Order: sequence, then C-alpha cells, then structure tokens
Amino acid sequence: MAPPRALSEFVAEANEVLETLAHDVAVLDAQRGREPEPELLNAIFRAAHSLKGLSGMFGQERISSLAHHLEDVLDALRLGKVLASDPLLDAILEGVDVLTLMLREAAGDAPSEDTGRRAASLAEAFARLASGGQVGAADVLDEVGIDPAVRSVFTEYEEHRLRENVKKGVALWKVRAVFSLEDFDQRLAALNATLKPLGEVISTLPSSQPGDDASIAFDLIFGSARPLAEIEQAVAGVATVAQLTEKPVPPSAPRPEAAPRKPAPRLELSDVSSPELSAWPLSSGSSGTTSSPSGVMQGAEPSLRSLAQTVRVDIGRLDALMNTIGELLTVRANINRLAEVARQAGATPLPKLWAQELQKESRALERRLDELQGAVLDVRMVPLGQVFDKLARLMRRLVRQSGKDVHFEVSGGDVELDKLIVEELSDPLMHLLRNALDHGVEAPDRRIAQGKDARGVIRLTAQQLGNKVQIEVGDDGAGMDETRIRQVAIERGLATHEATEELERRELLNLVFLPGFSTRKDVSELSGRGVGLDVVKTNLARLSGLIDIDSRRGEGTRFVLTLPLTLAIIRALIVAVGDRSFAVPLNSVTEIVSVKPAELRTIERREVIEVRGQTLPFVRLARVFGLREATNDRHFVVIIGFAQERFGLAVDALLGQEDIVTKPLGGRLKAVPGIAGATELGDRRAVLVLDVGALLEELKRPQVAVG
Amino acid sequence: MARARFDQLLERFFYRPEEPVGAWLELAPEIAEAVEDLEELPEEFLAFELSTETYAVPIGAVREILKVPVVTSVPRVAEHVLGVMNIRGEMLPLYDLKQRLHLETAPPRVTGPSDVPREARVVLLKDPEGDAGILVDLVRGVVRLPLSKLEPAPAMGGERRAVAGLGRKDGELYILLDVEQALA
Repeated sequence: MAPPRALSEFVAEANEVLETLAHDVAVLDAQRGREPEPELLNAIFRAAHSLKGLSGMFGQERISSLAHHLEDVLDALRLGKVLASDPLLDAILEGVDVLTLMLREAAGDAPSEDTGRRAASLAEAFARLASGGQVGAADVLDEVGIDPAVRSVFTEYEEHRLRENVKKGVALWKVRAVFSLEDFDQRLAALNATLKPLGEVISTLPSSQPGDDASIAFDLIFGSARPLAEIEQAVAGVATVAQLTEKPVPPSAPRPEAAPRKPAPRLELSDVSSPELSAWPLSSGSSGTTSSPSGVMQGAEPSLRSLAQTVRVDIGRLDALMNTIGELLTVRANINRLAEVARQAGATPLPKLWAQELQKESRALERRLDELQGAVLDVRMVPLGQVFDKLARLMRRLVRQSGKDVHFEVSGGDVELDKLIVEELSDPLMHLLRNALDHGVEAPDRRIAQGKDARGVIRLTAQQLGNKVQIEVGDDGAGMDETRIRQVAIERGLATHEATEELERRELLNLVFLPGFSTRKDVSELSGRGVGLDVVKTNLARLSGLIDIDSRRGEGTRFVLTLPLTLAIIRALIVAVGDRSFAVPLNSVTEIVSVKPAELRTIERREVIEVRGQTLPFVRLARVFGLREATNDRHFVVIIGFAQERFGLAVDALLGQEDIVTKPLGGRLKAVPGIAGATELGDRRAVLVLDVGALLEELKRPQVAVG
Repeated sequence: MARARFDQLLERFFYRPEEPVGAWLELAPEIAEAVEDLEELPEEFLAFELSTETYAVPIGAVREILKVPVVTSVPRVAEHVLGVMNIRGEMLPLYDLKQRLHLETAPPRVTGPSDVPREARVVLLKDPEGDAGILVDLVRGVVRLPLSKLEPAPAMGGERRAVAGLGRKDGELYILLDVEQALA
C-alpha cells in the first residue's frame, strides 16, 4: 500500500488528469456525428495514457487496468481502425464516469462491487469495440503512390492521417526546411505554426540530406487543400514545397530518397494486442529532439510532470488568508481613526503634520490591501465548465435512459465563479436539468402532434453580467400547467382555494418552490414540475442566489439563476433599528425609498406601500425581530428583491455600505431564522447579516398556508 | 438517565493517580487493570462565581478567559443566549448561565463591558458542538478537588442535569458543571 501522503498526491494528480480527460471527452461528445478532430482524439488518448501510467505507478490496479482498456479503444479510434460510433462514444463517456468513481473510492471510500461490475463490463465492451468494426477499405495510399521507403518510416498513426487526407482528396506535400543546429527547435516550431492554418502537419522527418555539419534539414509531410502557390508563399524563404504523392499529379517533384537516417528509439505508444501493430517498426524517423507536431510524442512519454502549472490549495487556507486580510483592514481603519484624532486634537503643528502623513500612508495601505484581497478572490475563481462537463455527461446518460429525443446545449462554461459556489451549484443544476428532461420535454410523438420538432432542446447557459452570473436552464417543452399547480397546492394543503384564486400566474408558478409542494413519488403523476424545487431554492439562497421561473404553456420553461461572483466578500448595506445594526446583502437590495407613515396602507391588516405603482408588503424589521419600535416621522424602506418577489423592509436609519465577510454564528446558533451569520465592522463589533430569503419566506407563509 | 450519567462522571472523577490504591487492589485485585485503563483524569477545575454560588468546570474544557467584549444580541434565540461576540474574527455565542440555571429570573441584558462589574469575565469553553462563552461574575482560579469526595447533586428539581456533582474543599462548596448540558 502506498503511504497516505503518496495516495493523496496520486488522487490530486489523477483528478487533474481525469478532469482534463472528462472535459475533452465532453467536447468529443458534443461533436458526435462529425469526424472527430485528430488533435482532440490525441489529447484524450494522452490523458488516458497518463492516467494509466500514473495509477500503475501508485499501484492503483483497478484504475490502471480500466485506463488501459480506454487507451486501447482510443488508440484504435485515433488510428481510424474503428469509427466514432454512438456505442463507442457512450462507452467512453461511461469509462470517464467509472474512472471518476474509482478514483473517489481510491481516495477513501471502500471499493464498491457495483463499480467493479461496471468496470468489468466496460472493459469487455472496450475490448470488443477496439478489435471489432475494422474499417475495411482498399489502401488509398497505394493508389496515390507514395514511395514505400518513405511509407515505412511513418508510424501507424501518421499513416492513418495520411490515408484520411487522401480520402478527403487533400494533396500531400513535402515541405523541406534547413535550419541551423543552434536554433532549429524554435524555427521548426515557427514553421509548424505557419503551416497549421493551411492544413495538417502529419509527420516531421529529419531529412536524409543535411546541408552541412552546422545545420539540419527536415521534411514535413503536410496535407493541404490549398494551392501550391499559397503554401510556397507562406513558407517562402524558410522552406521549399514539393509534391509527395506520385499520383494524381505527375511525379515532377524530386523523388524522396529513403536514405538511412538516425533511428531514434521510441516507446511503444501502447501495447495494443493487434498483430497488425506489432508488424510496424518500433522506431520511426521522428527525432526525439523535435517537438512533434502531431502531438504523438508527448503521449509516448508517460510524463511524470503534472499536466498544468498549478498549485493545489485547500480552500480553507484561502479562507484563512481572507480572514487575515479582513483583520488587516480593521487594523487599518483603527490607524486611520487614530490619525484623524491626532490631526484634530494636535494643538502644535508638528503632530498635526505627522498625523497627516500617517493618514496618507494609511490610505496607501488600504489600496494595497484591496489589491491583495482582489488577488485572493481571483485565486478562488474557477470556470463553471468544471460543473458543466459533469452535468453534460450525466445528461447524456439520462437522455439515453429516458428514451426521449433531446438535444442538450451547453454554453458559457468559461464563465468563472467562486470555487465554493461552483461546487454547490452542481446539485441544484442537476435537479433543474432532470426536471426539464422528466417533466419539461415531451415524448417525440406528442411533440410532433403539437407541430414541434420531434427533438427537444434543453439548454444550459451561463453569462456574466457585471458582478453577477446568470445561469439559465431552459427547455422547449410543455411549460408548466397552472391548473395542475393550483390543484396540487390545494391538495397538499399549501394554499386554500380562495387564496390560489387571487394569485397571479407568476405567484402561482412560485408555489412550486414551497416545501412539500411535491415529493419524489409524485414524479409520474405530476404533469407539471416541482420535484424538490424547494431544495433547489434553499441551496441557492445559501449561495445568496436568486431563482426566477419563466414558463409558457406549450413553449417551454426557463429557470434563471442569478448568483454573486463570490461569496467570500459581499457588499452590504448597514442599517439600524434602534441601537442595533444589521447588514443587508446589497445584491438583494433593488432600491431604497423613504415613506411617511401616512403613506402606508393596509390590506387585510397587513401593511403595504406603493413603489412605482407596485404594491409591496411593508415589513418592519423591528417587529420581525421583536425589538422596540421607534416612532419615526418617516421610514427608510429597503426594497428587497428576492427571486421574483419584492418587499419593503423598514428600518430606522441607513448607516452606509461596507464590504463584509459573512461568518457563521458559532456552531450552536446555526439555524436562527432570518439571520445568515455575522460580520465584523471597523470597530470589531459583530453585526448580524440578514437572510432576506428566509425573511421573505416567513412573510409569505401565513398568507398562503393554513387552509 | 441523569443518574446514570452522574455515575459515569463520578466514575471518571473517582480515581486520582497519586492516591494510594494498594489497599483497594488487595480487596479487589480484578479492578487493578481497569484502574490502569482510565485516562488522564480531570482533577483541576476552574472555579468561578455565578450570583452567590461557586461553580467549577474541568480545566481541560476551558479554551480561554476573556474580559467581557462587545456582545451583539441575536433575535429569536433562547433567553439564555446573550448574543455573539467577535473573538479575533471568529463569531462565538455567549451564554448566561444564571438564566439557564435559574439563579436569577430576569438578569439585565448584557451588551458589552459597561453592563457588567469590572470583575466579570467570559469563560470560553471548548465543546464539540461549537465553542461558546459563558458570562461569570468573577473567576476564582484553579482548584484541585479531591475527586474521591465528589457527591451527586441532591434531587431538588431545577436544572440539575447541568450539574455533574458537588465538590468540597476548605469549607467551600463547588458545583461541578456538565458543560454539554449547561450550554444545551
């Protein structure tokens, strides 16, 4: 057994490789039906290969074995021996899932039999897929006529790429360049970069005809549909271009000579058990010193280096760092205050000047601290793609199981969010996507009957809007059925018949977020939606996020999630009730108004105010928290927008805005309704942070509930 | 239930390493092993005053002793929760045991140093459910209590569950607190 330290290193590193793998496989999956990009296949192949090597090194036999099978299949795929068929892609997706599971089990959980079974059947499937389905065709390379001596130096992969190019009717060229030994690597790379936009560099062979001792010549085997003149112009002064094939163009070009070249020993890419492969030479012409344009060489070295230039950091350490910065900001505020006092009180000019200097320095300190804070926040940001990739894989499987025809579109994976938020998002998003599939998109026949495309669409998109991120889960399905929602709400005793009669469509839709609106076992009988949506809402509220529904009968449903970029620091409005202060997260504040007591109205004895023609509930914070109410000649009303609802929160005074870090109340006071936590302000006092979502829930509960 | 809990605690208090136990062992050689198995025992207590009574908690349960900081009261929590304190960036609740133990019915709300006498302190207790502070009138210091002489609290009603036992030394009565129960 590897010592724990080594194990944790393995898990971390393998996780990284697996994430890369999963990402690329997701891209591959998205291109289903098209011919896979060779670069992409190579990248996936390399990742599988690294994973195999890595897990083998750490004695993780289960992972190593499955990765090996995966690698075989990918190798066959990339060599064109098998086609990227649906079953094959499905097996690869499943492979990524099982590998992820196995890694998790290696990290701590006990190996489960289920995973073992899945792996075993997968290994079988891989073996079948890798060997079967030979793409039998006459060798096109024979037809175009390439010197057998030249052909003999190609690797199987290179030969496959040649064949693919010929099949596409792309002309093959030999680009010869002579570089000085001193800088040939950079210049070769530059040449590759020049050629890449024009076509595919299939192989780089050190040439048999070096110019002199101080230089080295290369033949780049290049497939391009562009006219010769264009290629020649692109590489003018660097290289010469010649036709590689004898046909269809007459062999006017000088025949390449297969003179002996320095054979570079190279590792077998994989031990594919195909006899065909073992017939190919182990050594190829590619020199080990050149950077291989096809990317095969990197795969050949089971690299021990990490794939990325990154440092993995426990998020807890970043939190600690944030805390320290917060403390420093407090210290700075104190220094500033002292300086201010000294400046005001200083009777003699000297301390006065000195205090001014101190204040200046203190401001500089603040700016630097702000930068530091920003930098730490930046470190916490990760792309949403981390979650989107996983969701895409899961959706692929769910769609298959559902028997519905659904196109799953994902975009905005590059939008970055705080790591903690991204992690917490996967469950709510999963929920919404599952709902869209189960209850949103109709069965194909029903869709056709309604004049829609038989294939449904589920979209997962993200975009950044200022300091917020909006994530949308949408479908083009049946939309929500208000009548059904009303019925269920009454059945469940969540609302009275009378109450629902008065609700507008929008409010009615929001009933699905009520706890107990729907339970798992109702999935089949519910034509609408609402499976555990209360959980989604709660999860989002914890992230200071909002959720909005937009649903049209027959056209589909959209859930729009709005999230802050980071939870670590939020901007808050500090308000006062009597002598107590509270912090209200600014992202939920839509505006602040001032009303006179005479302007208040009541509806069924509940106070309301009118803001821009809209009547909103008026909630006195003092009353909510049982504090003494001051008699004000006017109320400051903070208009809180949460999800689709808005209400006015009356306070005695507004004290200003602050950047705050919300901390949980000590372990024993976890669940105080209406309080999200506490934060410290400049004077070190703890100030309670309001949980506006919870306050809103309270506000609504007595209205709709109790029949 | 409470009784069983007391017995358990008393059992732990009962043995002092430096106490001569030879005589016992002769009487009951089979317990010799069991005695060795016992972990390091709490025998030092932090004693403090609440109203007119003297209470004590095992010294191992004390995280630190603080001057009373600014306390932010929290709405909608139990009466005996005075609020939260900001202890070097950490938010910790402060409990008023006088209410919890029914020593006083309606003590004045404490919001900061100005509301309490100069000697008052906050004793921060370590607890698996989350550390918490208790407000005490005066810290007496560390006492070593002869564990063999601990007695159960007499059944008189009230919040006896929070009392683990009674200890006597030099004519003083120390009420041993069960931290977990006292903060519940």
